[in-house]
Amino acid sequence: MNKLNEPGLEINADVLVIGGGPAASWAALAAAERGAKVVIADKGYLGASGAFAASTSGAKVIPPIKELRDPVKFERYALGGHLAQHSWWDRLLDVTFEKAPKIYEWGGYETPPYNTNGRPAYRGLQGCETMRIMRKQVKKAGVQILDHSPALELLVDDEGAVSGARGFQRQENRPWTVKAAAVVMASGGCAWLSKALGCNTNTGDGLLMAVEAGGELSSMEFSAHYVPAPKHSSVTKSAYYRFASFYDESGKVLDGLTKNGHRSTSAIAKELLKGKVYVTLNQNGADNPDMQKLLRLQQPNFMNAFDKIGVDPFTEKWEITLLLEGTVRGVGGIRIANKDCGTTVPGLFAAGDAATRELNCGGFTGGAGPNMTWAIGSGNIAGWAAADHARSLGQKATERNVRGVGRTGLVSSTETDATYDANAVVKGVQEEIFPLDKNIFRTEKGLLDSLAKLNQLWSEVQKNPVQGTAQELQRSREAVGLVAAARWAYFAGLERKETRGMHKRLDYPQLDPNQRHYLAVGGLDKLWTRPVPVPEAVVPQPAKEEVAVHA
Amino acid sequence: MIELISQSRCINCDICVEVCPTNVFDPVPGEAPVIARQSDCQTCFLCEAYCPVDAMFVAAEAHEHVEVNEEDLIAKGLLGAYRRNLGWNKGNSPEIRMNEMRELQRKVGAPF
Repeated sequence: MNKLNEPGLEINADVLVIGGGPAASWAALAAAERGAKVVIADKGYLGASGAFAASTSGAKVIPPIKELRDPVKFERYALGGHLAQHSWWDRLLDVTFEKAPKIYEWGGYETPPYNTNGRPAYRGLQGCETMRIMRKQVKKAGVQILDHSPALELLVDDEGAVSGARGFQRQENRPWTVKAAAVVMASGGCAWLSKALGCNTNTGDGLLMAVEAGGELSSMEFSAHYVPAPKHSSVTKSAYYRFASFYDESGKVLDGLTKNGHRSTSAIAKELLKGKVYVTLNQNGADNPDMQKLLRLQQPNFMNAFDKIGVDPFTEKWEITLLLEGTVRGVGGIRIANKDCGTTVPGLFAAGDAATRELNCGGFTGGAGPNMTWAIGSGNIAGWAAADHARSLGQKATERNVRGVGRTGLVSSTETDATYDANAVVKGVQEEIFPLDKNIFRTEKGLLDSLAKLNQLWSEVQKNPVQGTAQELQRSREAVGLVAAARWAYFAGLERKETRGMHKRLDYPQLDPNQRHYLAVGGLDKLWTRPVPVPEAVVPQPAKEEVAVHA
Repeated sequence: MIELISQSRCINCDICVEVCPTNVFDPVPGEAPVIARQSDCQTCFLCEAYCPVDAMFVAAEAHEHVEVNEEDLIAKGLLGAYRRNLGWNKGNSPEIRMNEMRELQRKVGAPF
């Protein structure tokens, strides 16, 4: 491991946070709030990294009133296959209610522009503005920020407890090592370099690092989240498709692509497998010029793409595609093993998209609200717990013997000189994970075929990584993360022999009540799954009919 | 993807080098940064949003390189348009944007 063994930056801290999005920033702030010395290391730039900074999402800021919170808990409960837990929702909503308004306060903003039930909805600020405020606040709290510093492996002590991480500062061209009493993994999910908006920093690194350290994942079978985007673009903003008319190439209106006013991904996917699909935003009041003006103001990033290609989305037809957002707005991630957002490995906590989102989203997407609530909630809970863990270890935390546990894609084998081509590996993974007929419409045969190819890629990356430049070092390791994440997703998908949440099995089209459990998944060379019971019984539906939302 | 750093507008502040989450740019002492790894550009438009002098243009096409012409972009008002729409340009603020949203919402209701 040549490059990582060169002299570099070495820091001791109480808490190391890995990541640079909202969950990571909140975790850093929460740990600092409890007196911990905190370092935050991000692959990109804290403020611009991750899906949220490039896009936006409103959190569920709701006071502790049953009538107001129940609709949130039940909105996607059945859609997620009753795998969410209402007790987790309660805690996440409590934290979010306390913390989310602070963003407006710190930024010097007045009441948010929208109201829900007469209460502020906190969704006026764009992601990039929110993250600019968060960065300022993280700095103010005395947290040391390492930008452009991808983490490449976790460090563990003699007992196997996570004790820090190592990575590379790609703009300083030197390795970094942070020894810490606790690590919060908030490095984002995995969108397999699809270029879904803001998602290319999310390559599953945290999942790989956690499993190498002895951790496990959960709900990886719920990772087939796709979002429409204008063809050739990156703009996976889905909210406005509620105003869409869909057309085929001949101009014929395509019905049934929305369900209860919201887009249906699988219906769109079916049409896209047949031919081209076009959209105009002219339904549900979008033909009103004032509404168009409002929609322009509300999502500048959505409109930006149309301005640039010179298309009026409200009057003209434009072609769409579906881009994979994977676990970023899907569900799978590091398994949370306790109420503190702790994992199965001592010293390792997980938050945001890097963690499983099954606890409040079940098997369904948490786009437009639940995801941000999870980011704020889990970020704070993990940050607090990591700081407490550091305090309980005291001085001995940084005196421990530590060793790096990164292997594939990081350490060169002594037995061979052969190297693998990271870009070719990435392409190979994408050929299995992008196609709609492989990932959305799953069958045992399809999953087995894909897993066979992914296993070949796993063998391929056992060769030596190319590490001549910082970029090569990072890309070689990312490629391994992408292969690993795809294998976990499809292996879990093979094991769940039913249709539930976003996991669709053509050969098992029904929900099976006997499979109402989580699926833990892990392993590197040899994969495994294990059912984990949902500790809450199904909460009965209130009398009011559930509204189907597909954000 | 990122297609343009205007040589006449760029003030060599290297903010884009710092903020680009996928590390697309390399700084050049005393000169404008270079687009060193264009294919790594994830088309998030954030360099454009952060550029203090509207010198950058990220085309909407995320997967293929497209030719752009600076004068043409200026004529169409597209250089710096995203920053303006966010309220990040001088004399503007996201608050102004949100106030306009409030006004319009009074007229047509919340979109959803």
